[in-house]
Amino acid sequence: MSRKKSGSFIKKSAGDVVFNVVNITVFVLFTFICIFPFYYLFINTISDNSLVAANQITLYPVGIHFDNYIALKDVSDFSNSIMVTIARTVLGTALMVIVSAFAGYLTTKREMWKRSFWYRAVVVTMYFNAGLIPWYMNMLGLGLTDNFWGYILPCLVVPYNIILVKTYIESIPSSLEESATIDGASAMQVFTKIIVPLSKPILATIAVFGAVANWNSLQDSLILMANSPELYTLQHRLWIYLNTSSNLATAMQSGGTVTAAALNTKVIKYTISMVTVIPIMLVYPFMQRYFEEGIMLGAVKG
Amino acid sequence: MSAKTASAPIEKAARPKGRFVLNVQRAAIVLACAATFYPGLNPARISSAISTNVSLLVSCFSFDSLVANFQRVVNQGTVPGSIFTVLQVMSIICIVGVGLCVAGACMSLGNNRMRHDALKFPVIGSLLMVVSLVGMFLLANTIASLGVSSVPGYISGGYVYYVFLTVVTLLTTLVLVIQDKRRTEPLEDKPEMKEKYKLFLMFTPVLALTFVFAYLPLWGWRYAFFDYKAGGTLSADNFVGLKWFTILFQNDTTRADVIRVLTNTLAMSGLGIITSWIPMIFAVFLTQVPSKRFRRVVQTFTTVPNFLGWVVVYAVALAIFSSDGFINSFLNNYLGISSDVNYLMNGDNMWLKMLLWGLWKGVGWSAIIYISAISGIDPSLYEAAEMDGAGRWAKIWHVTIPCLLPTFFVLLLLSIANILTNGLDQYLVFSNAANSSSIEVLDLYVYNLGIGSGQIPMSTAIGMFKSVVSVALLFGANAASKKLRGESII
Repeated sequence: MSRKKSGSFIKKSAGDVVFNVVNITVFVLFTFICIFPFYYLFINTISDNSLVAANQITLYPVGIHFDNYIALKDVSDFSNSIMVTIARTVLGTALMVIVSAFAGYLTTKREMWKRSFWYRAVVVTMYFNAGLIPWYMNMLGLGLTDNFWGYILPCLVVPYNIILVKTYIESIPSSLEESATIDGASAMQVFTKIIVPLSKPILATIAVFGAVANWNSLQDSLILMANSPELYTLQHRLWIYLNTSSNLATAMQSGGTVTAAALNTKVIKYTISMVTVIPIMLVYPFMQRYFEEGIMLGAVKG
Repeated sequence: MSAKTASAPIEKAARPKGRFVLNVQRAAIVLACAATFYPGLNPARISSAISTNVSLLVSCFSFDSLVANFQRVVNQGTVPGSIFTVLQVMSIICIVGVGLCVAGACMSLGNNRMRHDALKFPVIGSLLMVVSLVGMFLLANTIASLGVSSVPGYISGGYVYYVFLTVVTLLTTLVLVIQDKRRTEPLEDKPEMKEKYKLFLMFTPVLALTFVFAYLPLWGWRYAFFDYKAGGTLSADNFVGLKWFTILFQNDTTRADVIRVLTNTLAMSGLGIITSWIPMIFAVFLTQVPSKRFRRVVQTFTTVPNFLGWVVVYAVALAIFSSDGFINSFLNNYLGISSDVNYLMNGDNMWLKMLLWGLWKGVGWSAIIYISAISGIDPSLYEAAEMDGAGRWAKIWHVTIPCLLPTFFVLLLLSIANILTNGLDQYLVFSNAANSSSIEVLDLYVYNLGIGSGQIPMSTAIGMFKSVVSVALLFGANAASKKLRGESII
């Protein structure tokens, strides 16, 4: 960015000033549009519930309290969904990262029997798919519908992640691996002691992408778990709540301590939306680097 | 690579005998192993009352799933529960047998010594399978002789499948044992396996998962040729050939539907393609902002929506545009205009609205790739342009944009290849009674038809059509890229 300092910065013409003002204003506006909805949702969840019900909260919160978030734990369907979502996010992501790391490492080994054939057989699955319904019929046949493992098993092998890991490992100097092999380390030891520690950045990148995808999953819950409401993911549950108020009323009554008068459907909808959003908002600034690296890696395919 | 080709003929010369029998044995074992996960091929389904969702593996550890469909009959004692306990034990024996065979098959990739040592595994394994299958047969007979109508005795297709594989494994193993006895050359001192086979064995779980979840669904294309109803079976009776494809093109209502859906799909993808320069311009102008901190903040906040699911975007839409949302609340409270319009129930301009939501969610994120491309541009290009008296706009137009075009071009080709794939989530969550006809894209149509109305064959046929066209488009885009840029995109 030094070019700017040497160039346009030193002598600021009137045109530059106008340009900067207009440019910055446009970006401020767009950024505002991106974050205001979440601010609006948030102030409605922490304001006085009767004012929220009367549509009185528009720009700033009134009568701040956090009871709505506490009350959510009594909405039984919701607590179920959040447990399922956390479980699949943690387990699904961890296993996916392990599989990707291992598969990525193995595919860098030229000695493997028919390596390029197997590698291509895995990678080519990125470019075609049988379609939603055959996939569903397959899952049905495997007994993975209405079954928690239906969330985990299909997401373990992600060819794209395997490519990313493979490309990354290939950029690690092979002398490290060779010297370890000469010292008598097995492939497994090389993997755990050398490859994994050195590939942490790429593994972190695929982990954050995997975690976000798991957290936001709607389709598989919708299609596979149709008969098991106890396995609905958070997004699925939120969608149901957003569409119908009657479900919500029942769920609210099922929680004993919540008085239906204090909570209304609007507040509950907004609060659950915020609960779905907050983890990502909290994690995102710390992980932004990995997210951005991820999209850049997309350009380097192997 | 050259070493590999050189060693291949030597290897072939070293072990010419017994490879065929060995490969047959391996294939049988792989098939037996795969079927333990597949409920449709469960040999322990000795009564048609046993759930079709129970695989052999599940039969091993879940008594409850075995008897789930007739719990009451078992509780009453009409059918003794002990039958199913024994069945569970038989399943365990069968699985252990399969497991031993698998171990043997893996070890058979080793040297002669290892293969010799490994022979005992398929011997014991296949004998265990024989024992368990005989046991299951007797249990099926016992159940049949009880004559309880709700729990009939039954020999499933899976049972026949396993009997076949067990016989094959047993026979091939016997041949291999005989071959091993007749062996003349001495065995190696230590059982060893070549590195290449070890690596391959380590990779097999990945291959298995890929096969099961990416290749096996292709087998589901057969539903497009049958008159299948949910819960039914496929047989020669309901084979209908190309009926569904004919209907697709000849039935007026279906054809009108397909044309409407394709119009929506192409319109929305087309709008996306037409506006695909927006992230690039976003990046160009963002990098013109002098303050680094400002750029950072904008980038952070504008990328966040990309990481929220479409349901959350829908929640945002409700919060802003529904009758009790922000816009109405703002009009009422600050401008004194009484209003309670639900903007989401308006089906006009759906294509444009979906485009705007897509942009709101994705622009900041898509811009990142251009932002890093811009920071990778050689500063000397700008310096040279300045020497020539180029101003801000000239530098953008003559340096920045041309440097970004290759990236833009690749992304454009990929989006053309994906023209039929809009994704399901966005259109599903935003669809309602007022907009359903103009929001239904191909993915949503297939979902509504297959999952919503249970028309499995028809939706499979449409999905097949889409898959084939998509692959063709991808190859087309790739060929275009090769021709124009000399580089492939896949």
